[in-house]
Amino acid sequence: MTAHANFMFMRTRILTLICLLAATPAWSRVLLRWTQPSLPPPATMVVTDLVVPWDDAALISNAHRQGYHVYAEVPAGKAAEMAGRAGNSDLAGIILNLGDSQPSQLDQELQQLRSANPSLPVLLLDPNARQPQMKGQMVIKREGVLQVTSPTAQPWVDTNLALVRLDQAFHPSQTPLYEFQWDVSDPQLQESGPAPADYALAVAEAGAFRADLVLDLNPRLQTDLAQNHPAVVAVFNQVKRYLAFASRGQKNVGKPDANVGLITDSYQKSYEPINLLARHNIPFAVLKASDLKPRSLDRFDLLVVFAAMDDPAMKALADFASKGGVVVVVDAHGPYPWQSGQPVPAGEHSVAYVTGKGRIIELQGQVIDPETFAQDIRSLLDKGQNRDELALSLWNALTVVAVSYQSPGGEKLVELVNYAEEPISVQVRIKGSFSSIRYETPERACCRPLTPTRRGAFTEFVVPSLRIAGRVHLASRKPTDHKTEVK
Amino acid sequence: MRWNKPHAAVLLCASAVLASAQASPGAPQPQAPFVHKKKYVMGTVFEIVAYGESVAQASEAVDLALQEVVRLDDVMSDYKAESALSRLNHSSHSRPQRVPPDLYRVIGEALQYSRLSGGKFDVTVGPLVNLWKAAIRGGQPPSPAEEEKVRACVGYQKVELLPPDRVQFHSPCTQIDLGAIGKGYALDRAAAVLRAHGLSRALLDAGGSTLVALGTPPGQAGWLVHLRDPSNRVGPAVMLSDSSVSTSEQTPPSLLSPEQAGHIIDPGSGAPERTPFTVSVVASTGTASDALSTTLLLVGPEKGKELVQTVAGVAAVWISADGRSELASSGPQILINGNAQRPAASARTDAGGLR
Repeated sequence: MTAHANFMFMRTRILTLICLLAATPAWSRVLLRWTQPSLPPPATMVVTDLVVPWDDAALISNAHRQGYHVYAEVPAGKAAEMAGRAGNSDLAGIILNLGDSQPSQLDQELQQLRSANPSLPVLLLDPNARQPQMKGQMVIKREGVLQVTSPTAQPWVDTNLALVRLDQAFHPSQTPLYEFQWDVSDPQLQESGPAPADYALAVAEAGAFRADLVLDLNPRLQTDLAQNHPAVVAVFNQVKRYLAFASRGQKNVGKPDANVGLITDSYQKSYEPINLLARHNIPFAVLKASDLKPRSLDRFDLLVVFAAMDDPAMKALADFASKGGVVVVVDAHGPYPWQSGQPVPAGEHSVAYVTGKGRIIELQGQVIDPETFAQDIRSLLDKGQNRDELALSLWNALTVVAVSYQSPGGEKLVELVNYAEEPISVQVRIKGSFSSIRYETPERACCRPLTPTRRGAFTEFVVPSLRIAGRVHLASRKPTDHKTEVK
Repeated sequence: MRWNKPHAAVLLCASAVLASAQASPGAPQPQAPFVHKKKYVMGTVFEIVAYGESVAQASEAVDLALQEVVRLDDVMSDYKAESALSRLNHSSHSRPQRVPPDLYRVIGEALQYSRLSGGKFDVTVGPLVNLWKAAIRGGQPPSPAEEEKVRACVGYQKVELLPPDRVQFHSPCTQIDLGAIGKGYALDRAAAVLRAHGLSRALLDAGGSTLVALGTPPGQAGWLVHLRDPSNRVGPAVMLSDSSVSTSEQTPPSLLSPEQAGHIIDPGSGAPERTPFTVSVVASTGTASDALSTTLLLVGPEKGKELVQTVAGVAAVWISADGRSELASSGPQILINGNAQRPAASARTDAGGLR
């Protein structure tokens, strides 16, 4: 099986299993995977949730005794064994790591764990995330062999936004929980492990996307932290700032803003195109095809359909287009009701139908070039009825992924993540009129005021120095609590 | 062109395999200390792998080389309002302007390639690029009147260098865009910094579109770089040693729209170049390979082969998505499917490569 097929297989499996989960509390937090026998005091760590091997009774007991919330990680294939040892009062929860097992086996394992531990949350861990990073062209392999590849001249950002949004769509009641493997192919990293900035970026990303993360700590770092090695503790304090920053961002956050609705019924069909939309900062939401409600489409300017459609869904799409929206149907296999009109050649493998005030574009086949596809979507938005109306736009930000949220109280929140890990100045334009803009980072207390500039229906501002993570609070009135302002 | 625009100056695709100190897996040798660092600058990722006497020595030198690229971005960027180039472009065009030595030098090199290519390579083409970008965003190509107006600003002959350090524009609307040569120049300067700090084995990469090799990897004859092959059938590669390679390719066609733009504009026609080819060029410096790759994409293989023969130490390969390839060289070898081609050869191959 190819790596790609494996990847898609895992997604299908996660989809199946997530649907079996009962509603669980939203976590939105970072959990540290711990493997070493000794532990630092929880008070020095900020994070008190540890993920430890399910069969390391001594470590579980030690961690619990020290005051940690301990989550036992069970690899697929071991659930029955663990269920037989149910009743460990030292545990705060169980995490089932999908590994490489088959879906049917996992169904059974999940049930076994939940039956044996009815009072504990049992969560599935998505192991298919990527290490967040700005990738270069060079790949350094083991044994001193180095290799360079160059798919694009633009910075290639590995982001987990698409994965998080897909998980949220397919199971909205559970906060996505993921892990990734550190890329240590560079021999320089094999001994030392990731840099503090790399840990910080991983934490920042999960926080910005409102997801849960199981974070691997390098074994040497664990040992040095447990021994309270002053230099290491000082370095880890940088990461702790990001942990604290991420935890501060979880409150009172509404839906992410979106101009594009992505309708899908599988990870396999839609992951890469969605990934590229994320990298291009095109505000999107993922909608599960079977949950499609016509009224839920009204907030979008453009829809991309990756799923087969039934008659009501086709009618909803045609209605959306007739009101001025643009619909892109990927791998179109008609017949469709709008095909009674005259087709107009669009791209190399696509045709368009004018439908009312809008149009529907049918793309023959799957998206073979997600980069070009994402740029096409951007171009369609620029030319659409609501042209130049993106909810959020960035300039000078090829290494930045940003998400804006509308809070129930009317405040707007923009989370920015810079995968280049070096300070840059980013120009931001957001839809709406805001007179108060406050900026916070992990390095500075909340908040520094930024100067808004009105441009028609938009507000523009410049984030002066975005290193890894930044959060912008926007309100239409000045905040009353001036104590939070930092001059 | 802006350094960091979405359709970056050169769409490159090159890949390289860098050999290490270990000549073969069965004969382990002490591995030479090396460092690998990357930096986001000029709208792309610059990377350097360098071997040194120690990691500390190599690391310090690589940091300085990357700082040199940042410094040059502050000189050559047309995106940064305070760059020397922006100041030149927005200065009064009625009198000569004094510019920093690097800007003077790179403009001088650019004008040489303009003359060499009969104007196909032209650093004053930026206003046409911007016109097409704006027009395509609006859903229609520019009108003939609009195009005519902008074309009056374009032409390398409208730029004059006045030694030792001044530049004079002979049109009130001429502007310079170094997007098709600046990254190569920056790599050359970064390589010079490495040399000055005692490093003699390094590979420097500007977003994959231009690579400059300093010396060779320990125990190897060169840095083996796999070149962009849109057909996946030709398998071009080159062994670099104190030389450079660049790749140029037009923006791929839209999947959903009939409008086709592209970031590479033919100054002659004033419109985006239509070409089925990707071209990779080997030359002695990054400045040369960067400029020549754009030039040879625009002139195509027929005239391009003749042009290659007029420049010492240059090789080029044109490859189309359907597997056609054209080869020319005035010295360096380009490997096709692992086979070395004769120097000074101009050859045409099918998808199977030369036999």
